[in-house]
Amino acid sequence: MNVGRDFNWAGWMLFALLLLLWEFGSRLSPALQSYLPPVSRILRSLGELIISGQLVRHLMITLSRFLQGYLLAASIAVILGIVLGYFRMAHSLFEAVIEFLRPMPSVAIIPVAVLLLGIGDAMIVAVTVYASVWPVLINTIDGVRHLERTLIDTGRTFGLNRRKILWLVVLPAAAPYIVTGLRISLSIALILVTTAEMIAGSRGLGFFILDQERSMNSSNMYAGVVLVSALGYVLNRLFVLGEGWAMQWRRGMLARESI
Amino acid sequence: MRASKLNGLLFFLGLLIVWELVAQAGLINPLIVPALSRILRVFSDLVWSGQIPLQVAVSMKRAAAGYVMAALVFIPLGILMGLSQSVYRLFEVIVEMLRPVPPPVMIPVAMLFLGLEDGMKIFVIFFSCAWPILLNTLDGARNVDRVLLNTARIFGLSRWKIIWNVILPAASPQIVTGLKVSLPITLILVVISEMVGSTDGIGYFILDSQRRFRVAHMYAGMLTLAILGYALNQFFNLFYRLLMPWHIGWLRLKDGR
Repeated sequence: MNVGRDFNWAGWMLFALLLLLWEFGSRLSPALQSYLPPVSRILRSLGELIISGQLVRHLMITLSRFLQGYLLAASIAVILGIVLGYFRMAHSLFEAVIEFLRPMPSVAIIPVAVLLLGIGDAMIVAVTVYASVWPVLINTIDGVRHLERTLIDTGRTFGLNRRKILWLVVLPAAAPYIVTGLRISLSIALILVTTAEMIAGSRGLGFFILDQERSMNSSNMYAGVVLVSALGYVLNRLFVLGEGWAMQWRRGMLARESI
Repeated sequence: MRASKLNGLLFFLGLLIVWELVAQAGLINPLIVPALSRILRVFSDLVWSGQIPLQVAVSMKRAAAGYVMAALVFIPLGILMGLSQSVYRLFEVIVEMLRPVPPPVMIPVAMLFLGLEDGMKIFVIFFSCAWPILLNTLDGARNVDRVLLNTARIFGLSRWKIIWNVILPAASPQIVTGLKVSLPITLILVVISEMVGSTDGIGYFILDSQRRFRVAHMYAGMLTLAILGYALNQFFNLFYRLLMPWHIGWLRLKDGR
């Protein structure tokens, strides 16, 4: 960001103005209230639902599905991506399969997963894995293929065996690409978890939001939306923090190159 | 390159044949995975009877409406935000607040206001395409070459002419990126919103087929989506080549140095 770190008065004022408009507009118009309850009521619902533990339970369920799906997808995709990126033969074999499956919107897999796994955690995690694998896989393959041959040759000259080359040379060199894939997958995984919960779930935040909409508890529904968004925001921040920590060496390297 | 492509296709074909044989031999439950030949037959029946083209048309109408509206609103806004620091600051907080909302959770919200009609899906697509289009356009407009801008000013172009003749073309590669990223998002959100709240469209068709245990129909719907996703991408690339041939030449120039 080239913008200064000073407080953004204009932005926050506009935001506060909109919230005020929402609050009073909704208070003044009973017709609007059932769709758009005042902000204060939404916040009160959020507080009550959190204190009663109801929303926390759904949040934990969603979070655990998300983590299982995302982490599983990440490990599968990185390993597969390195193999497919490193061994030309393997890549040429699977290229057509990947090219065929990739353009299909991943949510279309939900009905199949329901048939195979029924409704429940396993189905939701499986769907999340399927959808989150693609960005990491494609980026890892790209990263490994863009690797400088000199790096591998240098590793060989120093007598590293194949496993060590993969681990000490290929993986770090592809890391920036892998991180990009992981960041894209983060939001995709959250989208898939909430979608699957809406379509075939009986628990979790996605289910909660849709269920509250259907029973016309709009302020509870908005409370759920606020919480899911907060979850998305926090996960994203954590990712950025983790990335900064894990990729420190790279910043150092780039800085040295630019000297 | 050609040979490796052929290998891949042969391998893919081999997998399909294995699938067909395994299914014919009765080794997998046909209620979960029917034989490929059956799916293809159902698919062609559904195409010729007009069922699939009808559902695709319904879905594409919604997708196009949301996508085009997002482009019409967020490309100008992105350019404004990229050019003027104060406009950027004004909207920054709102954008940062709305961006982490996972698009599918906007479906219940939109259902509350707009019911199960087309408007609901169009709004959800509009909302989810907003960020890639806005942020890419903003980036493109902000990073326009200063020399280009100053040259245009020296030649005495008016503000509108500068935006139209200098900034828009210079930012267009990134605008195209935003539009391209939004394409699969559009398709995903159309499908989700039709699965959650609709009585027609290809997303509804797939979920409904599954609920009625018409499994081959379901797979035929998924095949349709895969073809659709592929075709949309190809269309976009074609369009891009027609609209911005200069950009491809420019990229090549930069690559070749």
